[in-house]
Amino acid sequence: MSTWFIIFGVIYIIILAFIGLRSWQRTKSAEDYILGGSRLGTLIGMMTFAATLFSTFTLMGMPDFFRTHGIGAWIFLAISDAAMFFFILWFGYHLRKRAREGSYQGVAGLMSNLYKTKWAGYVYFVGVFLFLVPYVAIQIRGIAIFLNAVFPEALPAWGWSTLIVVLMLSYSEIGGLRAIIYNDVIQGTILLLVLWVIAIGCVQSFGSVSNLFAEVKAFNPELLSVPGPQGLLTTQFLFASFLAIVLIPVTQPQVTTRLVIMRSNKTLHSMAVGLGIFAFLVLLPTIAIGLYGALNYTGNTSSEFLSGVLLYEQLDWIAAIVIIGLLAAATSTADSQIFALGSELRSMLKVKEEHKMKYTRFTILFFAVAALVFSVLSSDQLVLLARVSFAGTSILAPLILSGIFHKKQPPVWILPFTALGVGLFILSLTGIIPSTYSGIRLEILILFTLFSLMALSFFRKK
Amino acid sequence: MKKIKHKSWKVICITAIILAIVTFTPLVIPYSQSRPMLGNLPYTLWMGILIYIILVILTFIGTRVYPDNDKSTDS
Repeated sequence: MSTWFIIFGVIYIIILAFIGLRSWQRTKSAEDYILGGSRLGTLIGMMTFAATLFSTFTLMGMPDFFRTHGIGAWIFLAISDAAMFFFILWFGYHLRKRAREGSYQGVAGLMSNLYKTKWAGYVYFVGVFLFLVPYVAIQIRGIAIFLNAVFPEALPAWGWSTLIVVLMLSYSEIGGLRAIIYNDVIQGTILLLVLWVIAIGCVQSFGSVSNLFAEVKAFNPELLSVPGPQGLLTTQFLFASFLAIVLIPVTQPQVTTRLVIMRSNKTLHSMAVGLGIFAFLVLLPTIAIGLYGALNYTGNTSSEFLSGVLLYEQLDWIAAIVIIGLLAAATSTADSQIFALGSELRSMLKVKEEHKMKYTRFTILFFAVAALVFSVLSSDQLVLLARVSFAGTSILAPLILSGIFHKKQPPVWILPFTALGVGLFILSLTGIIPSTYSGIRLEILILFTLFSLMALSFFRKK
Repeated sequence: MKKIKHKSWKVICITAIILAIVTFTPLVIPYSQSRPMLGNLPYTLWMGILIYIILVILTFIGTRVYPDNDKSTDS
């Protein structure tokens, strides 16, 4: 496997270098660097959106989630994703309309302009910073731990983390968003191919899909219903996750920006449909891999299961592609988020045109280092930490939706309430205050309150 | 034509919202129930897959009937 890994690794690095260089040559201005030319077609738009969304979280997290919690994981992610793609039709149109009214540089800048106060940008930025940096960190950590388990002699986990960050910075600093988008296309393609090759192998070992489910039923029937063997996937958990995931295009800047830089509303809408098909093809094989793991890796750790099913059971060259796919997945999600954080911070600063690119590059470097430090310190629960990130950023949704949908100036009083909501959610995560009240999860209560306030602001205007 | 588009878009939106809400009721996720099965596929899974497909179809129809698409906010 090592020989194949070196061969594919060298090919991948050459492609990345080519992408970085080519994007650098095509970058004519700071806006070009930050927004990648703002003319994405349906296919490229779909692949970059999908790669930003489906990361190591999908390749490693979802099979393990199906293995541990059973088929309820489909409701957890797939249904939420499908609803999100529908939501893009409506939200994407209105977001683009607002973005075209001024010079869009990032969501924080847009909010500052719409609310006519910098505080709107600050509240948004602090919110995404607090919840995105840990999410980037777990992407990096997930792969680093995995690679350390597979190649224990080569590098320690923090060494792999550093390598991933350096790899990511090397092309995104040079080529900007355009380079990131092309890397996303490579990652999306590898992800899809690898998942299907592995899933087909898993199903074949049982003869058919039907046999696989029959075996699971005989082994542990709780895997075939909600809330699953560990009781995690309750209606409330699934619904809270649904809200958090559907609101991703509103609250996660790397996703929001991709909606803005589509060529036209028509390509945006075609992309939403394409995403529905792509996500289906990506998520379906994770069921088979996960249930195969439930039967063959009972009692094993996540790392043992993933290294077994993704690498050791595969032909050497496939295993090598899987590792490259994992590296691509980690870098493509992390670079989009770090780049978005850099662009968001810069969108709030008044910087001379000639210094914009320099500032953006510096902020990207700063956030990459922050994510690297956090990755060394964070926990290993990929899916659950990702969910916390989605839930945390979803608290910002009423602020953004208010900004976009109020025809005149939106009410600024929503800003302190949003900041309070973010603060309370963080306090609940640290255990200082309870995370449920009368059996209802705090994030649902916060979202309900903020959305009610938002609705009230529209009602009062009328 | 514009009125028809507005109406169709509203119908599509309402259908998608109802579908999403129904997903979180015992109609789709009954507690600890895997029957009725479809070719050994547990109920929640095949219903979930069906709902996913319907949502994607609704998204596709939505792109055709979206009322404001004629107005230009294109770059």
